Amino acid sequence: MRPNSIEAEGLAKQFRKGPRAVDGIDLHVSPGEIYGFLGPNGAGKSTTVHMLTTLLPPTAGTGRVAGYDIVREGARVRAAIGAALQEAALDPLLTGRDHLRLQMALHGIPRRERSERADELLVRVGLTGAADRKVGGYSGGMKRRLDLALALVHRPRILFLDEPTTGLDPQSRAALWDEVGRLASDGVTVFLTTQYLEEADVLADRVGIIDHGRIVAEGTPAALKGEIGRPTVEVVPADPDQRGAVADVLARFGEPSQASPDGVAVRIDGEAELAPIVRALDAEDLHVAQLQLHAPTLDDVFLAKTGRSLEGAEEPEAVAAE
Amino acid sequence: MTRTLAVAEGVAWRVLRNVFKNPSLLVPSLVFPLFFFTAFAGGLAGISRAPGFDFPDGYTAFQFVFVLLQSAAFSGVFTGFGIARDFERGFAKRLLIAAPRRGGILLGYALAAIVRWALVAVLLTVVALAAGMEVGGNGVDLFGLYALALLVNVAGILWATGVAMRLRTMQAGPVMQFPVFITLFLAPVYVPLSLLTGWIKALATVNPATRFLEAGRSLLAGAPHEVALAFGAALGLGLLFALWALRGLRSAERAGAA
Repeated sequence: MRPNSIEAEGLAKQFRKGPRAVDGIDLHVSPGEIYGFLGPNGAGKSTTVHMLTTLLPPTAGTGRVAGYDIVREGARVRAAIGAALQEAALDPLLTGRDHLRLQMALHGIPRRERSERADELLVRVGLTGAADRKVGGYSGGMKRRLDLALALVHRPRILFLDEPTTGLDPQSRAALWDEVGRLASDGVTVFLTTQYLEEADVLADRVGIIDHGRIVAEGTPAALKGEIGRPTVEVVPADPDQRGAVADVLARFGEPSQASPDGVAVRIDGEAELAPIVRALDAEDLHVAQLQLHAPTLDDVFLAKTGRSLEGAEEPEAVAAE
Repeated sequence: MTRTLAVAEGVAWRVLRNVFKNPSLLVPSLVFPLFFFTAFAGGLAGISRAPGFDFPDGYTAFQFVFVLLQSAAFSGVFTGFGIARDFERGFAKRLLIAAPRRGGILLGYALAAIVRWALVAVLLTVVALAAGMEVGGNGVDLFGLYALALLVNVAGILWATGVAMRLRTMQAGPVMQFPVFITLFLAPVYVPLSLLTGWIKALATVNPATRFLEAGRSLLAGAPHEVALAFGAALGLGLLFALWALRGLRSAERAGAA
Protein backbone atom coordinates (compact mmCIF):
# COMPACT_ATOMS: atom_id res chain seq x y z
CA MET A 1 0.00 0.00 0.00
CA ARG A 2 1.31 3.45 -0.88
CA PRO A 3 1.88 6.00 1.89
CA ASN A 4 -0.89 8.43 2.63
CA SER A 5 1.44 11.38 2.36
CA ILE A 6 1.32 14.62 0.38
CA GLU A 7 4.38 15.93 -1.40
CA ALA A 8 5.00 18.85 -3.71
CA GLU A 9 8.08 20.30 -5.29
CA GLY A 10 8.09 23.70 -6.94
CA LEU A 11 4.31 23.51 -7.39
CA ALA A 12 3.07 26.59 -9.19
CA LYS A 13 -0.07 27.93 -10.85
CA GLN A 14 -0.03 30.85 -13.22
CA PHE A 15 -3.52 31.82 -14.37
CA ARG A 16 -3.85 33.07 -17.92
CA LYS A 17 -4.12 36.86 -17.82
CA GLY A 18 -4.09 36.56 -14.03
CA PRO A 19 -1.83 36.35 -11.04
CA ARG A 20 0.77 33.70 -10.27
CA ALA A 21 -1.47 32.37 -7.53
CA VAL A 22 0.97 29.72 -6.31
CA ASP A 23 4.63 30.45 -6.81
CA GLY A 24 6.68 27.28 -6.52
CA ILE A 25 5.87 25.73 -3.16
CA ASP A 26 7.45 22.65 -1.58
CA LEU A 27 5.40 20.53 0.79
CA HIS A 28 5.79 17.31 2.71
CA VAL A 29 2.89 16.13 4.81
CA SER A 30 3.54 12.85 6.62
CA PRO A 31 0.98 10.06 6.94
CA GLY A 32 -1.50 10.68 9.77
CA GLU A 33 -0.45 14.28 10.19
CA ILE A 34 -2.79 17.28 10.40
CA TYR A 35 -1.19 19.99 8.30
CA GLY A 36 -2.59 23.47 8.69
CA PHE A 37 -2.19 25.72 5.67
CA LEU A 38 -2.57 29.23 6.97
CA GLY A 39 -2.79 32.46 5.06
CA PRO A 40 -4.99 35.44 4.23
CA ASN A 41 -7.62 35.40 1.49
CA GLY A 42 -5.97 35.31 -1.90
CA ALA A 43 -2.67 33.95 -0.63
CA GLY A 44 -2.90 30.78 -2.73
CA LYS A 45 -4.37 28.27 -0.25
CA SER A 46 -7.36 27.16 -2.29
CA THR A 47 -5.41 27.08 -5.54
CA THR A 48 -2.91 24.76 -3.86
CA VAL A 49 -5.74 22.50 -2.68
CA HIS A 50 -7.30 22.53 -6.15
CA MET A 51 -4.00 21.36 -7.65
CA LEU A 52 -3.38 18.68 -5.03
CA THR A 53 -6.92 17.34 -5.44
CA THR A 54 -6.47 17.24 -9.27
CA LEU A 55 -9.17 19.83 -9.87
CA LEU A 56 -6.66 22.21 -11.43
CA PRO A 57 -3.50 21.27 -13.32
CA PRO A 58 -0.31 22.97 -12.11
CA THR A 59 1.64 25.09 -14.55
CA ALA A 60 4.97 24.05 -13.02
CA GLY A 61 6.36 21.66 -10.44
CA THR A 62 5.25 18.23 -9.32
CA GLY A 63 2.94 16.83 -6.69
CA ARG A 64 2.30 13.37 -5.31
CA VAL A 65 -0.71 12.55 -3.19
CA ALA A 66 -1.06 9.09 -1.64
CA GLY A 67 2.00 8.16 -3.68
CA TYR A 68 0.38 9.07 -7.01
CA ASP A 69 1.34 11.85 -9.39
CA ILE A 70 -1.37 14.52 -9.42
CA VAL A 71 -1.09 15.07 -13.18
CA ARG A 72 -0.44 11.62 -14.61
CA GLU A 73 -2.38 9.53 -12.06
CA GLY A 74 -5.32 11.81 -11.32
CA ALA A 75 -7.88 9.01 -11.18
CA ARG A 76 -5.86 7.15 -8.51
CA VAL A 77 -5.38 10.34 -6.52
CA ARG A 78 -9.13 11.03 -6.57
CA ALA A 79 -9.88 7.48 -5.44
CA ALA A 80 -7.57 7.89 -2.44
CA ILE A 81 -8.65 11.32 -1.22
CA GLY A 82 -11.70 13.02 0.20
CA ALA A 83 -12.19 16.74 -0.27
CA ALA A 84 -14.50 19.35 1.19
CA LEU A 85 -13.95 22.55 -0.73
CA GLN A 86 -14.40 26.11 0.45
CA GLU A 87 -17.83 26.49 -1.08
CA ALA A 88 -19.85 23.39 -0.20
CA ALA A 89 -20.94 22.43 -3.73
CA LEU A 90 -24.33 20.90 -3.03
CA ASP A 91 -27.46 20.53 -5.13
CA PRO A 92 -30.29 22.41 -3.38
CA LEU A 93 -32.89 20.08 -4.90
CA LEU A 94 -31.37 16.90 -3.46
CA THR A 95 -31.67 15.73 0.14
CA GLY A 96 -28.69 15.00 2.34
CA ARG A 97 -29.24 11.27 1.87
CA ASP A 98 -29.47 11.76 -1.92
CA HIS A 99 -26.09 13.46 -1.88
CA LEU A 100 -24.57 10.56 0.01
CA ARG A 101 -26.06 8.11 -2.45
CA LEU A 102 -24.67 10.09 -5.39
CA GLN A 103 -21.23 10.38 -3.82
CA MET A 104 -21.13 6.64 -3.12
CA ALA A 105 -22.09 5.89 -6.71
CA LEU A 106 -19.33 8.19 -7.96
CA HIS A 107 -16.84 6.25 -5.85
CA GLY A 108 -18.19 2.91 -6.98
CA ILE A 109 -19.31 1.74 -3.53
CA PRO A 110 -21.44 -1.41 -3.94
CA ARG A 111 -25.19 -0.81 -3.67
CA ARG A 112 -25.63 -3.25 -0.78
CA GLU A 113 -23.28 -1.17 1.38
CA ARG A 114 -24.67 2.26 0.55
CA SER A 115 -27.62 2.47 2.90
CA GLU A 116 -25.69 1.33 5.96
CA ARG A 117 -22.73 3.59 5.17
CA ALA A 118 -25.06 6.58 4.66
CA ASP A 119 -26.72 6.01 8.02
CA GLU A 120 -23.33 5.65 9.70
CA LEU A 121 -22.07 8.94 8.25
CA LEU A 122 -25.29 10.81 9.00
CA VAL A 123 -24.97 9.80 12.64
CA ARG A 124 -21.30 10.77 12.65
CA VAL A 125 -21.99 14.33 11.46
CA GLY A 126 -25.26 14.69 13.38
CA LEU A 127 -27.57 15.00 10.39
CA THR A 128 -29.81 11.98 10.86
CA GLY A 129 -32.87 14.13 11.55
CA ALA A 130 -32.33 16.27 8.46
CA ALA A 131 -31.23 13.48 6.12
CA ASP A 132 -34.41 13.47 4.06
CA ARG A 133 -34.79 17.22 3.78
CA LYS A 134 -33.70 19.13 0.68
CA VAL A 135 -30.28 20.69 1.14
CA GLY A 136 -31.63 24.06 -0.02
CA GLY A 137 -33.13 24.41 3.47
CA TYR A 138 -29.95 23.53 5.38
CA SER A 139 -28.04 26.06 7.46
CA GLY A 140 -24.40 26.84 6.65
CA GLY A 141 -23.22 24.56 9.44
CA MET A 142 -25.39 21.67 8.25
CA LYS A 143 -24.04 22.07 4.71
CA ARG A 144 -20.47 21.97 6.02
CA ARG A 145 -21.19 18.82 8.02
CA LEU A 146 -22.82 17.16 5.04
CA ASP A 147 -19.85 18.16 2.90
CA LEU A 148 -17.54 16.48 5.41
CA ALA A 149 -19.69 13.34 5.38
CA LEU A 150 -19.54 13.31 1.58
CA ALA A 151 -15.77 13.57 1.68
CA LEU A 152 -15.67 10.49 3.92
CA VAL A 153 -17.99 8.11 2.05
CA HIS A 154 -15.18 5.98 0.59
CA ARG A 155 -13.02 6.01 3.75
CA PRO A 156 -10.25 8.14 2.20
CA ARG A 157 -6.69 7.94 3.48
CA ILE A 158 -6.14 11.63 2.89
CA LEU A 159 -8.61 14.40 3.55
CA PHE A 160 -8.46 17.94 2.14
CA LEU A 161 -10.52 20.50 4.03
CA ASP A 162 -10.55 23.94 2.47
CA GLU A 163 -11.56 26.48 5.11
CA PRO A 164 -14.02 24.03 6.65
CA THR A 165 -15.17 26.29 9.48
CA THR A 166 -15.47 29.62 7.69
CA GLY A 167 -18.81 31.14 8.60
CA LEU A 168 -19.64 28.55 11.25
CA ASP A 169 -20.87 29.35 14.74
CA PRO A 170 -18.51 28.44 17.62
CA GLN A 171 -20.44 25.28 18.50
CA SER A 172 -20.37 23.91 14.94
CA ARG A 173 -16.71 24.87 14.68
CA ALA A 174 -15.84 22.95 17.84
CA ALA A 175 -17.81 19.91 16.62
CA LEU A 176 -15.91 19.95 13.34
CA TRP A 177 -12.58 20.26 15.14
CA ASP A 178 -13.49 17.20 17.23
CA GLU A 179 -14.30 15.25 14.09
CA VAL A 180 -11.03 16.24 12.41
CA GLY A 181 -9.16 15.14 15.53
CA ARG A 182 -10.96 11.77 15.47
CA LEU A 183 -10.10 11.26 11.81
CA ALA A 184 -6.43 12.00 12.43
CA SER A 185 -6.39 9.55 15.33
CA ASP A 186 -7.74 6.95 12.88
CA GLY A 187 -4.65 7.54 10.73
CA VAL A 188 -6.18 9.85 8.12
CA THR A 189 -3.81 12.54 6.83
CA VAL A 190 -5.56 15.91 6.97
CA PHE A 191 -4.60 18.92 4.86
CA LEU A 192 -6.53 21.83 6.29
CA THR A 193 -6.54 25.36 4.95
CA THR A 194 -7.67 28.10 7.24
CA GLN A 195 -7.45 31.81 7.85
CA TYR A 196 -8.19 31.32 11.52
CA LEU A 197 -5.07 31.37 13.68
CA GLU A 198 -6.76 29.59 16.53
CA GLU A 199 -7.86 26.78 14.26
CA ALA A 200 -4.35 26.14 13.00
CA ASP A 201 -2.98 26.43 16.52
CA VAL A 202 -5.45 23.99 18.05
CA LEU A 203 -5.71 21.41 15.28
CA ALA A 204 -2.51 21.29 13.29
CA ASP A 205 0.52 19.17 14.07
CA ARG A 206 2.43 21.39 11.67
CA VAL A 207 1.59 24.68 10.04
CA GLY A 208 2.63 26.16 6.72
CA ILE A 209 2.11 29.88 6.31
CA ILE A 210 1.50 31.01 2.75
CA ASP A 211 1.63 34.57 1.47
CA HIS A 212 1.69 35.80 -2.13
CA GLY A 213 1.75 32.18 -3.28
CA ARG A 214 4.91 31.29 -1.34
CA ILE A 215 5.39 29.42 1.90
CA VAL A 216 7.01 31.93 4.24
CA ALA A 217 7.21 29.74 7.37
CA GLU A 218 6.65 26.12 8.26
CA GLY A 219 6.87 24.08 11.45
CA THR A 220 4.93 23.10 14.53
CA PRO A 221 2.90 25.96 15.99
CA ALA A 222 5.11 25.93 19.10
CA ALA A 223 8.33 25.99 17.11
CA LEU A 224 7.10 28.80 14.86
CA LYS A 225 6.06 30.90 17.81
CA GLY A 226 9.31 30.09 19.61
CA GLU A 227 11.26 31.10 16.53
CA ILE A 228 10.00 34.66 16.46
CA GLY A 229 10.76 35.40 20.06
CA ARG A 230 9.89 35.80 23.64
CA PRO A 231 6.68 36.88 25.33
CA THR A 232 6.06 40.52 26.16
CA VAL A 233 4.70 42.07 29.32
CA GLU A 234 2.66 45.22 29.09
CA VAL A 235 1.86 47.42 32.08
CA VAL A 236 -0.61 50.32 32.14
CA PRO A 237 0.08 52.47 35.23
CA ALA A 238 -2.88 53.74 37.27
CA ASP A 239 -1.29 57.20 37.19
CA PRO A 240 -0.18 58.21 33.67
CA ASP A 241 2.57 60.36 35.18
CA GLN A 242 4.26 57.18 36.43
CA ARG A 243 4.89 55.78 32.90
CA GLY A 244 8.57 56.71 33.10
CA ALA A 245 9.05 55.05 36.48
CA VAL A 246 7.24 51.93 35.27
CA ALA A 247 9.45 51.84 32.17
CA ASP A 248 12.56 51.99 34.37
CA VAL A 249 11.38 49.02 36.43
CA LEU A 250 10.41 46.96 33.37
CA ALA A 251 13.76 47.67 31.70
CA ARG A 252 15.32 45.37 34.33
CA PHE A 253 13.39 42.42 32.83
CA GLY A 254 13.90 42.90 29.09
CA GLU A 255 14.15 45.19 26.12
CA PRO A 256 11.40 47.73 25.31
CA SER A 257 8.65 46.62 22.97
CA GLN A 258 5.67 48.18 21.21
CA ALA A 259 2.81 48.93 23.63
CA SER A 260 -0.62 50.55 23.71
CA PRO A 261 -0.64 54.40 24.02
CA ASP A 262 -1.14 54.30 27.81
CA GLY A 263 1.15 51.38 28.50
CA VAL A 264 4.77 50.32 28.68
CA ALA A 265 5.93 46.95 27.33
CA VAL A 266 9.10 44.87 27.36
CA ARG A 267 10.09 41.66 25.64
CA ILE A 268 11.08 39.46 28.53
CA ASP A 269 14.54 37.90 28.82
CA GLY A 270 14.33 34.33 30.12
CA GLU A 271 11.23 32.73 31.69
CA ALA A 272 7.82 34.32 31.27
CA GLU A 273 7.09 34.89 34.98
CA LEU A 274 4.98 37.78 36.20
CA ALA A 275 5.65 37.46 39.95
CA PRO A 276 9.13 39.14 39.97
CA ILE A 277 7.76 42.02 37.88
CA VAL A 278 4.80 42.53 40.22
CA ARG A 279 7.13 42.46 43.23
CA ALA A 280 9.48 45.01 41.65
CA LEU A 281 6.62 47.39 40.80
CA ASP A 282 5.22 47.04 44.31
CA ALA A 283 8.65 47.75 45.84
CA GLU A 284 8.74 51.06 43.95
CA ASP A 285 5.17 51.81 45.13
CA LEU A 286 3.90 51.97 41.56
CA HIS A 287 0.17 51.34 41.12
CA VAL A 288 -0.92 49.33 38.12
CA ALA A 289 -4.23 49.61 36.23
CA GLN A 290 -3.51 46.67 33.86
CA LEU A 291 -0.82 44.05 33.55
CA GLN A 292 -0.77 41.61 30.65
CA LEU A 293 1.49 38.82 29.47
CA HIS A 294 1.40 38.39 25.67
CA ALA A 295 2.58 35.01 24.46
CA PRO A 296 3.58 35.00 20.76
CA THR A 297 0.81 33.94 18.40
CA LEU A 298 0.82 32.67 14.85
CA ASP A 299 -0.25 36.17 13.88
CA ASP A 300 3.05 37.40 15.38
CA VAL A 301 4.77 34.78 13.24
CA PHE A 302 2.94 36.04 10.16
CA LEU A 303 3.80 39.62 11.09
CA ALA A 304 7.44 38.74 11.60
CA LYS A 305 7.66 36.91 8.27
CA THR A 306 5.64 39.26 6.07
CA GLY A 307 5.61 42.58 7.85
CA ARG A 308 1.81 42.50 7.96
CA SER A 309 -0.76 41.14 10.37
CA LEU A 310 -2.72 38.12 9.18
CA GLU A 311 -5.93 39.79 10.34
CA GLY A 312 -7.02 41.92 7.38
CA ALA A 313 -4.06 40.92 5.21
CA GLU A 314 -6.35 40.09 2.27
CA GLU A 315 -4.82 40.44 -1.17
CA PRO A 316 -7.49 41.77 -3.48
CA GLU A 317 -5.56 41.22 -6.68
CA ALA A 318 -5.44 37.47 -6.14
CA VAL A 319 -8.90 36.88 -4.73
CA ALA A 320 -10.26 35.86 -8.11
CA ALA A 321 -7.86 32.97 -8.17
CA GLU A 322 -9.00 31.66 -4.83
CA MET B 1 -14.73 0.52 -17.23
CA THR B 2 -16.57 -0.45 -14.04
CA ARG B 3 -15.49 2.84 -12.46
CA THR B 4 -16.70 4.80 -15.49
CA LEU B 5 -20.08 3.07 -15.37
CA ALA B 6 -20.38 3.70 -11.62
CA VAL B 7 -19.78 7.42 -12.18
CA ALA B 8 -22.28 7.44 -15.07
CA GLU B 9 -24.87 5.71 -12.91
CA GLY B 10 -24.48 8.29 -10.17
CA VAL B 11 -24.67 11.29 -12.49
CA ALA B 12 -27.65 9.91 -14.42
CA TRP B 13 -29.47 9.00 -11.21
CA ARG B 14 -29.04 12.50 -9.83
CA VAL B 15 -30.27 14.23 -13.00
CA LEU B 16 -33.31 11.97 -13.30
CA ARG B 17 -34.17 12.23 -9.62
CA ASN B 18 -34.17 16.02 -9.90
CA VAL B 19 -36.28 15.91 -13.06
CA PHE B 20 -38.88 13.48 -11.76
CA LYS B 21 -39.14 15.08 -8.33
CA ASN B 22 -39.52 18.62 -9.66
CA PRO B 23 -42.45 19.16 -12.01
CA SER B 24 -41.02 22.51 -13.11
CA LEU B 25 -38.13 20.62 -14.71
CA LEU B 26 -40.20 17.76 -16.14
CA VAL B 27 -43.38 19.36 -17.47
CA PRO B 28 -41.90 21.81 -20.03
CA SER B 29 -39.89 19.08 -21.74
CA LEU B 30 -43.12 17.05 -22.12
CA VAL B 31 -45.46 19.86 -23.03
CA PHE B 32 -43.43 21.72 -25.67
CA PRO B 33 -43.22 18.84 -28.18
CA LEU B 34 -46.94 18.21 -27.74
CA PHE B 35 -47.62 21.90 -28.34
CA PHE B 36 -45.53 21.90 -31.52
CA PHE B 37 -47.20 18.71 -32.71
CA THR B 38 -50.68 20.09 -32.12
CA ALA B 39 -49.83 23.42 -33.71
CA PHE B 40 -48.11 22.01 -36.79
CA ALA B 41 -50.16 18.88 -37.44
CA GLY B 42 -53.50 20.47 -36.54
CA GLY B 43 -53.08 24.08 -37.59
CA LEU B 44 -51.24 23.43 -40.85
CA ALA B 45 -53.09 20.28 -41.94
CA GLY B 46 -54.40 22.11 -45.02
CA ILE B 47 -50.89 21.98 -46.52
CA SER B 48 -51.49 18.33 -47.32
CA ARG B 49 -53.96 19.42 -50.00
CA ALA B 50 -51.31 21.47 -51.79
CA PRO B 51 -50.45 20.25 -55.30
CA GLY B 52 -47.50 17.89 -55.22
CA PHE B 53 -47.83 16.94 -51.54
CA ASP B 54 -47.53 13.20 -51.87
CA PHE B 55 -46.86 11.83 -48.37
CA PRO B 56 -49.15 8.80 -48.19
CA ASP B 57 -49.88 8.69 -44.44
CA GLY B 58 -51.24 12.20 -44.14
CA TYR B 59 -50.07 15.43 -42.57
CA THR B 60 -50.28 14.22 -38.94
CA ALA B 61 -47.72 11.49 -39.64
CA PHE B 62 -45.68 13.92 -41.76
CA GLN B 63 -45.40 16.36 -38.84
CA PHE B 64 -45.01 13.63 -36.22
CA VAL B 65 -41.60 12.71 -37.63
CA PHE B 66 -40.44 16.32 -37.50
CA VAL B 67 -41.62 16.84 -33.90
CA LEU B 68 -40.08 13.51 -32.85
CA LEU B 69 -36.69 14.50 -34.29
CA GLN B 70 -37.01 18.05 -32.98
CA SER B 71 -37.74 16.78 -29.45
CA ALA B 72 -34.74 14.45 -29.73
CA ALA B 73 -32.39 17.26 -30.69
CA PHE B 74 -33.72 19.78 -28.18
CA SER B 75 -33.72 17.25 -25.36
CA GLY B 76 -29.97 17.14 -25.90
CA VAL B 77 -29.76 20.93 -25.81
CA PHE B 78 -31.67 21.05 -22.50
CA THR B 79 -29.11 18.65 -21.07
CA GLY B 80 -26.47 21.21 -21.94
CA PHE B 81 -28.40 23.79 -19.91
CA GLY B 82 -28.26 21.46 -16.90
CA ILE B 83 -24.53 20.93 -17.28
CA ALA B 84 -23.90 24.67 -17.59
CA ARG B 85 -25.98 25.22 -14.44
CA ASP B 86 -23.86 22.66 -12.59
CA PHE B 87 -20.71 24.52 -13.56
CA GLU B 88 -22.17 27.89 -12.67
CA ARG B 89 -23.28 26.68 -9.23
CA GLY B 90 -20.04 24.83 -8.50
CA PHE B 91 -21.63 21.37 -8.43
CA ALA B 92 -19.43 20.28 -11.31
CA LYS B 93 -16.42 20.64 -9.01
CA ARG B 94 -17.88 17.95 -6.77
CA LEU B 95 -18.29 15.66 -9.77
CA LEU B 96 -14.79 16.34 -11.08
CA ILE B 97 -13.12 15.79 -7.70
CA ALA B 98 -15.14 12.74 -6.72
CA ALA B 99 -15.21 10.90 -10.03
CA PRO B 100 -12.10 8.80 -10.52
CA ARG B 101 -13.07 8.36 -14.20
CA ARG B 102 -14.35 11.67 -15.53
CA GLY B 103 -15.57 10.30 -18.85
CA GLY B 104 -18.34 8.75 -16.76
CA ILE B 105 -19.67 12.24 -16.08
CA LEU B 106 -20.36 12.75 -19.79
CA LEU B 107 -21.88 9.31 -20.07
CA GLY B 108 -24.11 9.93 -17.05
CA TYR B 109 -25.50 13.19 -18.40
CA ALA B 110 -26.09 11.49 -21.77
CA LEU B 111 -27.90 8.51 -20.24
CA ALA B 112 -30.18 10.79 -18.26
CA ALA B 113 -30.96 12.82 -21.38
CA ILE B 114 -31.79 9.68 -23.34
CA VAL B 115 -34.19 8.49 -20.63
CA ARG B 116 -35.84 11.92 -20.53
CA TRP B 117 -36.27 11.98 -24.27
CA ALA B 118 -37.56 8.38 -24.34
CA LEU B 119 -40.38 9.51 -22.09
CA VAL B 120 -41.16 12.38 -24.45
CA ALA B 121 -41.07 10.04 -27.45
CA VAL B 122 -43.50 7.59 -25.83
CA LEU B 123 -45.93 10.36 -24.86
CA LEU B 124 -45.70 11.97 -28.29
CA THR B 125 -46.35 8.65 -30.01
CA VAL B 126 -49.37 7.91 -27.82
CA VAL B 127 -50.84 11.36 -28.47
CA ALA B 128 -50.17 11.10 -32.23
CA LEU B 129 -51.84 7.69 -32.43
CA ALA B 130 -54.76 8.98 -30.39
CA ALA B 131 -55.03 11.87 -32.85
CA GLY B 132 -55.43 9.39 -35.68
CA MET B 133 -51.91 9.23 -37.08
CA GLU B 134 -51.62 6.62 -39.82
CA VAL B 135 -48.60 4.32 -39.74
CA GLY B 136 -47.63 2.56 -42.93
CA GLY B 137 -44.35 1.05 -41.75
CA ASN B 138 -43.87 -2.31 -40.07
CA GLY B 139 -42.08 -3.01 -36.78
CA VAL B 140 -38.64 -2.92 -38.37
CA ASP B 141 -39.37 0.42 -40.06
CA LEU B 142 -40.59 1.92 -36.82
CA PHE B 143 -37.56 0.58 -34.96
CA GLY B 144 -35.44 2.30 -37.59
CA LEU B 145 -37.32 5.58 -37.11
CA TYR B 146 -36.82 5.57 -33.33
CA ALA B 147 -33.19 4.46 -33.67
CA LEU B 148 -32.55 7.36 -36.02
CA ALA B 149 -34.21 9.76 -33.58
CA LEU B 150 -32.07 8.31 -30.79
CA LEU B 151 -28.91 9.03 -32.78
CA VAL B 152 -30.12 12.60 -33.33
CA ASN B 153 -30.77 12.83 -29.60
CA VAL B 154 -27.24 11.64 -28.79
CA ALA B 155 -25.72 14.07 -31.31
CA GLY B 156 -27.72 16.92 -29.72
CA ILE B 157 -26.59 15.91 -26.24
CA LEU B 158 -22.94 15.78 -27.25
CA TRP B 159 -23.10 19.10 -29.11
CA ALA B 160 -24.66 20.91 -26.13
CA THR B 161 -22.37 19.16 -23.65
CA GLY B 162 -19.33 20.35 -25.57
CA VAL B 163 -20.59 23.94 -25.51
CA ALA B 164 -21.57 23.78 -21.83
CA MET B 165 -18.21 22.38 -20.78
CA ARG B 166 -16.31 25.03 -22.70
CA LEU B 167 -18.31 28.09 -21.65
CA ARG B 168 -19.51 26.82 -18.23
CA THR B 169 -22.28 29.38 -17.88
CA MET B 170 -26.03 29.44 -18.41
CA GLN B 171 -25.45 32.38 -20.73
CA ALA B 172 -24.21 29.80 -23.22
CA GLY B 173 -27.84 28.71 -23.75
CA PRO B 174 -28.29 30.52 -27.10
CA VAL B 175 -24.99 29.12 -28.37
CA MET B 176 -26.32 25.60 -27.74
CA GLN B 177 -29.82 26.28 -29.00
CA PHE B 178 -29.49 28.53 -32.03
CA PRO B 179 -27.51 26.27 -34.40
CA VAL B 180 -29.87 23.37 -33.66
CA PHE B 181 -32.91 25.56 -34.22
CA ILE B 182 -31.58 26.94 -37.51
CA THR B 183 -30.50 23.51 -38.78
CA LEU B 184 -33.91 22.01 -38.07
CA PHE B 185 -35.92 24.85 -39.53
CA LEU B 186 -33.82 25.01 -42.69
CA ALA B 187 -34.95 21.45 -43.42
CA PRO B 188 -38.27 20.61 -45.14
CA VAL B 189 -40.38 20.98 -42.01
CA TYR B 190 -43.80 21.80 -43.44
CA VAL B 191 -43.62 20.38 -46.96
CA PRO B 192 -41.56 17.70 -48.68
CA LEU B 193 -38.19 18.72 -50.15
CA SER B 194 -39.62 18.40 -53.64
CA LEU B 195 -41.99 21.31 -52.99
CA LEU B 196 -39.31 23.73 -51.82
CA THR B 197 -37.82 26.19 -54.29
CA GLY B 198 -34.96 28.68 -54.55
CA TRP B 199 -32.25 29.21 -51.93
CA ILE B 200 -34.14 27.37 -49.21
CA LYS B 201 -34.23 24.25 -51.37
CA ALA B 202 -30.50 24.58 -52.01
CA LEU B 203 -29.81 24.84 -48.28
CA ALA B 204 -32.25 22.07 -47.38
CA THR B 205 -30.65 19.74 -49.89
CA VAL B 206 -27.27 19.87 -48.14
CA ASN B 207 -28.71 20.09 -44.62
CA PRO B 208 -28.16 16.81 -42.72
CA ALA B 209 -31.47 17.37 -40.91
CA THR B 210 -33.19 16.94 -44.29
CA ARG B 211 -31.72 13.46 -44.56
CA PHE B 212 -33.06 12.59 -41.08
CA LEU B 213 -36.53 13.97 -41.86
CA GLU B 214 -36.85 12.39 -45.29
CA ALA B 215 -35.57 9.03 -44.07
CA GLY B 216 -37.72 9.17 -40.92
CA ARG B 217 -40.85 9.96 -42.91
CA SER B 218 -40.11 7.20 -45.38
CA LEU B 219 -39.71 4.72 -42.51
CA LEU B 220 -43.00 5.77 -40.94
CA ALA B 221 -44.70 5.39 -44.31
CA GLY B 222 -43.19 1.93 -44.81
CA ALA B 223 -41.23 2.95 -47.92
CA PRO B 224 -37.63 3.33 -46.68
CA HIS B 225 -35.65 5.80 -48.79
CA GLU B 226 -31.99 6.78 -48.31
CA VAL B 227 -32.09 5.41 -44.78
CA ALA B 228 -28.42 4.36 -44.81
CA LEU B 229 -27.42 7.89 -45.77
CA ALA B 230 -29.42 9.32 -42.88
CA PHE B 231 -27.93 6.86 -40.39
CA GLY B 232 -24.47 7.59 -41.75
CA ALA B 233 -25.00 11.33 -41.32
CA ALA B 234 -26.35 10.87 -37.78
CA LEU B 235 -23.49 8.58 -36.79
CA GLY B 236 -20.97 10.98 -38.32
CA LEU B 237 -22.42 13.91 -36.39
CA GLY B 238 -22.49 11.79 -33.25
CA LEU B 239 -18.81 10.89 -33.58
CA LEU B 240 -17.85 14.47 -34.38
CA PHE B 241 -19.74 15.83 -31.39
CA ALA B 242 -18.40 13.05 -29.12
CA LEU B 243 -14.94 14.39 -29.88
CA TRP B 244 -16.23 17.93 -29.32
CA ALA B 245 -17.71 16.94 -25.94
CA LEU B 246 -14.59 15.10 -24.81
CA ARG B 247 -12.42 18.07 -25.70
CA GLY B 248 -14.93 20.24 -23.83
CA LEU B 249 -14.43 18.05 -20.77
CA ARG B 250 -10.66 18.50 -21.07
CA SER B 251 -11.21 22.27 -21.33
CA ALA B 252 -13.28 22.20 -18.13
CA GLU B 253 -10.59 20.12 -16.42
CA ARG B 254 -7.90 22.61 -17.41
CA ALA B 255 -9.98 25.45 -15.99
CA GLY B 256 -10.63 23.58 -12.74
CA ALA B 257 -14.38 23.69 -13.47
CA ALA B 258 -14.32 27.42 -12.74
